[in-house]
Amino acid sequence: MTKVGVLRFPGTNCDRDVFSWVEARGFEAEYLWHLDLFEEKKYDLLVVPGGFSYGDYLRSGALAALSPAMKSLRRFASAGGPVLGICNGFQILCESHLLPGALVKNEGRRFVDDWSELEVVNENSKFGAQFKKGQHLKLPIAHGDGRFYAPADELKKIYDQNQVWLRYVNNHNGSLGGIAGIMNEKKNVAALMPHPERAIYPWMGGQDGWGFL
Amino acid sequence: MSLDFQQKLKHYRISESEYQKICELLGREPRSVEWALFSALWSEHCSYKSSRAHLKKFAQTINPTVLNAAGENAGVVDLGFGERIAFKMESHNHPSFIEPYQGAATGVGGILRDIFTMGARPVAIADYLCFGETEAARMPALMDGVVRGISGYGNCVGVPTVTGQTNFDSSYNQNILVNAMAVGLFRPNDRIALSSAKGVGNLVVYVGAKTGKDGVHGAAMASESFDENSEAKKPNVQIGDPYFEKLLIESCLQVIQEGLVVSIQDMGAAGLTSSSFEMASKGQVGLDLHLDQVPLRDSSMTPEEILLSESQERMLLICEPSKLEKIKAHFSRWGLDASPIGTVQSERRVRLYWKTELLTELDPDLLVENAPIYQREFKAWSFPRKKEKIQKVKSKNLPNHLMEALESSDHASRKPIYRQYDQRVGAMTAQGSDHDLAILRLPDSGRGLAVAVGCRPSLMKVDAYLGALDAVIYPSLQMAVKGAKACAVTDCLNFGNPEKPEIMSEFVASVEAITEASKILHAPVISGNVSFYNETKGVNITSTPATGLIGIRQDVERIPSDLFENEGDSVFCLSFQAVQVGLSEREFSGQLNLEKVAGFQKVLMSLGSSGLLKASQMVGFGGLGLALAKMSLKGVGFESDLSWSEDDWSEDQLYRALLVTDRVQDFELLLERELQAAGIEEDCEFHELGLTGGSQLKLGSWVQISVEHLKSQHQNGLKNYFEGV
Repeated sequence: MTKVGVLRFPGTNCDRDVFSWVEARGFEAEYLWHLDLFEEKKYDLLVVPGGFSYGDYLRSGALAALSPAMKSLRRFASAGGPVLGICNGFQILCESHLLPGALVKNEGRRFVDDWSELEVVNENSKFGAQFKKGQHLKLPIAHGDGRFYAPADELKKIYDQNQVWLRYVNNHNGSLGGIAGIMNEKKNVAALMPHPERAIYPWMGGQDGWGFL
Repeated sequence: MSLDFQQKLKHYRISESEYQKICELLGREPRSVEWALFSALWSEHCSYKSSRAHLKKFAQTINPTVLNAAGENAGVVDLGFGERIAFKMESHNHPSFIEPYQGAATGVGGILRDIFTMGARPVAIADYLCFGETEAARMPALMDGVVRGISGYGNCVGVPTVTGQTNFDSSYNQNILVNAMAVGLFRPNDRIALSSAKGVGNLVVYVGAKTGKDGVHGAAMASESFDENSEAKKPNVQIGDPYFEKLLIESCLQVIQEGLVVSIQDMGAAGLTSSSFEMASKGQVGLDLHLDQVPLRDSSMTPEEILLSESQERMLLICEPSKLEKIKAHFSRWGLDASPIGTVQSERRVRLYWKTELLTELDPDLLVENAPIYQREFKAWSFPRKKEKIQKVKSKNLPNHLMEALESSDHASRKPIYRQYDQRVGAMTAQGSDHDLAILRLPDSGRGLAVAVGCRPSLMKVDAYLGALDAVIYPSLQMAVKGAKACAVTDCLNFGNPEKPEIMSEFVASVEAITEASKILHAPVISGNVSFYNETKGVNITSTPATGLIGIRQDVERIPSDLFENEGDSVFCLSFQAVQVGLSEREFSGQLNLEKVAGFQKVLMSLGSSGLLKASQMVGFGGLGLALAKMSLKGVGFESDLSWSEDDWSEDQLYRALLVTDRVQDFELLLERELQAAGIEEDCEFHELGLTGGSQLKLGSWVQISVEHLKSQHQNGLKNYFEGV
């Protein structure tokens, strides 16, 4: 059975939601504690969920990037293992330099919660493989530091290498290029600001998130 | 009496008669820290000395679904299927007016601790806010600060803020209200933790954040009116850290669910003093406490400051000595301290030590049970009908009336506020703040848990008794039109100075009204909070008994929408005729017949859960035309060719529901049957208003406005106050 590791930092608050989603998909879920190195070969896939790891002290994601569990995650990723980051998980992966760019304060300088329409810019074979280029999806967003930023040369590289995964149709936070999700060069590490785990059943208001795992 | 003595009384906010009582109880004069202990525990905030005599009435509402009513932080209501809910609402008015961000944030933190200290996982937050007029001094900054505070704290702890109510009225210009409600869930095998100290030889363990000087004398401050020196009270406001709270939630739930604690209580108002003395008093035991063992943020703190500090994110727990190591290990895993600071004793004395010195030794009941109870002067409610303007809109011309109302602070979209609150963390939210009614899906039974708050200040101004009835009834009806049944009530009673008979009379009337309404709807009052002295320079707020309700819906499928969804649906209005309200001033006819109101609720519940309704909405103040305009905001218009007058479209009634269906025959049959069964055919009026469709709102010959126009008007009213949202 596919085994999914869900990372847990102090302050992570979407861990339980992601755990339930993984189980609902029929996979085996296991929490991975921030202070512990883990045996990366035991897992088929890793998720870094959202929240406020280490209380967003210093910068969102900055302290989590230095934790022992992230060392193991790096090894997993460099061996080509699939890693999905969501919201604060996206911030952590950027701070860990597993993904390019950074997430800074929303342009309006406020936390924003809403439903957001997204466009699939490039397909990803590991996460949401069924979503086709140009397809529109509806997912909830909830973040204060969600504005994607990268210096011009890095941004150009991101576009040149087709690393943009998702784009906001209405760019609510001032992200460069409206970027809502990106991938690394090898496409095995991918992350997005919206929350797929909060849109997996019709009663949640939408179920486009179901297929992201 | 010496001047020093008078100043001491003033400093500790103890009256002369209270001082006499303290001397009688002790058999001597109070010494050293005893002044501080009595000051804190006998404050209005901790002792409920003005309200206690009346709050007993709520006991009449208790029914067998309530698992523990008295004495705990919050009541627990059993919803069946092993699912139980603890919920409570609390005010943080005074601190929020002084420092809005921290005041509101710690208000959220405090009410969450009341819930998870019982072992329930917090699953939802709701807020009830009353601001002054938007143009009043400091008001935009207060609005922004309060909303940012709730957002900053709630989002970080990972509890969604799913609903709320925001009122604007001049009576709050100098005393805003910030009430927060937390809802906690016990799943089928979860333990309920209690707060009474037990077991001689057991350890008293301090857990959570370290103690600092913040919030010293906070409880006493919250029990006073404001004056010119309010600004000087800033140091009394506590500072919160939601990150610590999140760690505390996880670690406390873990030790509770693993059965490692005997009892546990949060350190809220009056901090360590109230938690330790209350736990001892409830458990009929004594405690030896070593104040020098309390983890400190500031080593210069005196014993008195340690006792009174209201530093946030702290708990006190009692455990068997053999469990200490396991408990310490759990907390340390989450990066938190767990420090033993004392032991449980058989003799009913709380002994406070500072190193080897015994500071005081007191029977806990003296402070907790023997606090003064005041019979404040009040008059029996005689139903004075004050003629108050309910609608602030000036325009009589209907189209102008609608446009003006949609943009007004009373009716403008609340999206600029709730867009800053995480609605969906926890993955239980079926409907959040963008809906009339919040509904969470309970994970074990799949049923819907409805959450609502209530109290319409404009009605309170007219008649406090009616307003307080309405504070329970209106949210129950808002649940009913969506097919949910109100199950339990909490309240947060915000009033002015209780030493003024006219205020106290409104308080007593409100308690009676909430009791009566809860009884008739079989929705017990399981917890509550009182906030008196909402008075600044002699001006009292409108009495505001805010309520929080939870309800149950059989599932989360086919919930009627708030908005017109399709073209060609029929729109009906069902109005409950018992009380009539004039256009701009109330002209009452008769009392509310509560039995019939309960019947009306049943009828609406049947319709709301029948699957026949495409959309439904209770009609709030502002008239039918405004309610129809609001229902069109998704983009589907409405047309009525009724030959009603402008007044017909804009006048107020107390209880009316708009019901939208595409199965008219089935709907009418069901309605008729239900009205008969409830015995209220004579008390209800029923109109078919028209059909949904088009892109305009058309009301007879009076109104023809494009829905897009209505929408932009509605969206913009509050937007400027929350720049960048």
